[in-house]
Amino acid sequence: MRTPRSLDVEITSRCNLRCRYCYYFNNPALVYRDLPTDEWLAFFDELGSLGVMSVTLAGGEPFIREDLPDLIDGIVRNRMRFSLLSNGGLIGDDIAAFLSRTGRCDYVQVSVDGSQAEVHDSCRGQGSFDGALRGIGTLRRHRISVAVRVTIHRNNVRDLENIAHFLLDELGLPDFGTNSAGYMGTCRGNADDVLLTIAERQEGMATLLRLAAKYPGRISSNAGPLTDGRMWGRMEEARAQGRPALPNGGRLTACGCPSHKISVRADGVIVPCNMLGHLALGRINRDSLGDIWRNSPILARLRSRSAIPLAGFDFCAGCSYIPYCTGNCPGLAYTLTGLVDHPSPDACLRRFLEGGGALA
Amino acid sequence: MNLSDKPIANPVVVLREEFDDWAVLFNPDTAAAAGTNPVGVAVWKLLDGRHCISEIVSKIQNGFEDAPGASGEEIVAFIDKLAENGFVGLELERK
Repeated sequence: MRTPRSLDVEITSRCNLRCRYCYYFNNPALVYRDLPTDEWLAFFDELGSLGVMSVTLAGGEPFIREDLPDLIDGIVRNRMRFSLLSNGGLIGDDIAAFLSRTGRCDYVQVSVDGSQAEVHDSCRGQGSFDGALRGIGTLRRHRISVAVRVTIHRNNVRDLENIAHFLLDELGLPDFGTNSAGYMGTCRGNADDVLLTIAERQEGMATLLRLAAKYPGRISSNAGPLTDGRMWGRMEEARAQGRPALPNGGRLTACGCPSHKISVRADGVIVPCNMLGHLALGRINRDSLGDIWRNSPILARLRSRSAIPLAGFDFCAGCSYIPYCTGNCPGLAYTLTGLVDHPSPDACLRRFLEGGGALA
Repeated sequence: MNLSDKPIANPVVVLREEFDDWAVLFNPDTAAAAGTNPVGVAVWKLLDGRHCISEIVSKIQNGFEDAPGASGEEIVAFIDKLAENGFVGLELERK
């Protein structure tokens, strides 16, 4: 691929909330500084010339930027589509109507972490539940696709049944996604109160697998207990039946993002991924994104990570799941071990089982 | 379309050329995307409203000879498919 197909852009370092599990704030590798409108518009022109297809605007809270319509105009003018990741609280009718008129908005993701304010607000702050629901309602009134994301943590893992009922039955959303709080940013300081214990993780897995069967095709995940439950179930089945290694198993094959996308921090520094904000590749409007994409030694190393065998790590020594394991997220591997080229301990099935966990 | 038609690429459609000379055509208004081989890329670059379809066929066949997708029928079918999906159209006649 000559150029990235899509970009994740932290369009602002500001946010109206201070969530207790936020991966973004309190990351010593980041610089919390916003760029002026013109800098982003010049960068979007470069993206247009590279044939980039879509941009995801995150933050911080992207709707906090007063110049958001100008920025989105710049994306649309350069023949790209866009999506936004939001807490929903700052979405009013005017901006929603604007997004709708562009015809280029793939979706707005809004975080909802509980079936009621008490649960949702426990990690996201008072009033945030009402703000999220208000935002979702506004977006739907303007016929903008809403992607709700539930981040699972210690305070909502026992509310999952209610959350699914609330989102799918009461609000009538077509689907929602799940992940879980990870040991990054602000969460590192609140880990004991926020992160799931092994028992809670096991409970979350069982609940979500049951709910996914109850609501077929309507609950998704790319991380967190539902992903763990599905992936670990397949790994255990393959191990028990002595199956050959999975095609992507036995090496650090997760994740494939550096092969098709790249990220930019709020201060304009280009990084491989928002989860790897310490790996500076260059700066927008100073360095050529196309050149970075094709020639960065850091990206080349990340892309060749999939050749690194798990069997070479002391961490994996003697593990019978190696042929079925991908090593999982390099971002979490880095925050937990200080090494990008290392399997993520958070996703380790053997560690989960040795810690007292069990698969359903 | 007829062989005398002069199709013109939808200016909003993006041509993403890849390393192996294959490419993706992407319409950001509809999110539709279509992969195409090097012959398709060459056809796309001739959809400028100045070349009629028979001229496009002739130019492609001179450049690619026996390459897959380079027969007259295949080129016409490719342009028709692009038109069906809103990637290409005909300029309105100027008065």
